[in-house]
Amino acid sequence: MNVQFKKGVLELCVLVLLEKQDRYGYELVQRISDRIEISEGSVYPLLRRLTKEEYFTTYLQESTEGPPRKYYKLTDKGREYLHELLTEWNEFSDGVNQLIKEGVCANE
Amino acid sequence: MNKEQFLNQLNASLTRLSLEERQDILQDYEEYFAIGMEQGKTDQEISTSLGSPKQIAKELLASYHLGQVEQTTSAGNVMRAVWAVIGLGFFNLVIVLGPFIALVGVVIAGWASAIAFILAPVFALLNLIVSSFQLFDLFFALGLCGIGIFMAMGMFVATRALTKGFIRYLKFNASLVKGGLKND
Repeated sequence: MNVQFKKGVLELCVLVLLEKQDRYGYELVQRISDRIEISEGSVYPLLRRLTKEEYFTTYLQESTEGPPRKYYKLTDKGREYLHELLTEWNEFSDGVNQLIKEGVCANE
Repeated sequence: MNKEQFLNQLNASLTRLSLEERQDILQDYEEYFAIGMEQGKTDQEISTSLGSPKQIAKELLASYHLGQVEQTTSAGNVMRAVWAVIGLGFFNLVIVLGPFIALVGVVIAGWASAIAFILAPVFALLNLIVSSFQLFDLFFALGLCGIGIFMAMGMFVATRALTKGFIRYLKFNASLVKGGLKND
């Protein structure tokens, strides 16, 4: 799939995953890569960028095993941004789906 | 690629960033490796799924540069860029080449006169063959020869010191140009 397109979607995925609960980087990457094919390394640059833009805050939390984990927490600003993106995405995907449906019907 | 290689390559591609930021980034990936290995993956598998560290560095650097331009259109930042661009050409030409030529001139002149003084008796003796020879000339030349030897010794020390000093100046100059008017 187109790289730029995927990047935009990746941003949305990360924001959605953080809406209900705080998560750490590994968890975010795994959740996303379970569903869509991504290059896992590119999630961290994204997390950094969105943190810089104040959509997330981060905190370290000890885990029972291994090193402490960096958790990401959605801020109010991030939540607002998520809702913007979500609306855009829904309009976009509805539009594309509609076109596909019409296309498929016309071919039959 | 194993964990070390991955982290080293990433680190090497991020030298433009501050140490603090780089460490922060490396820590993220170290955490990722640590958790992945707890889950039973090998570090080879993890680094493969992460993708190329160079690509990751590219993404990180791109957002870093954008951030720089957006945040600070300050005079300092602009100056830094101007210095960096002009600096490597014009600035170095004048500020480095100037003193360099002057220093080289001094050193060459010093050595030349030292050598000429040392050779003075030879010329005095040549005078013996060519034209009228005077004993005074020979003694005077021997005196010059002594002074010349001292000068040569002095020049030897001076050349070493100047070379060292100039190298330090070059380093200072390079960091001045590279770092520009860094005020963070």
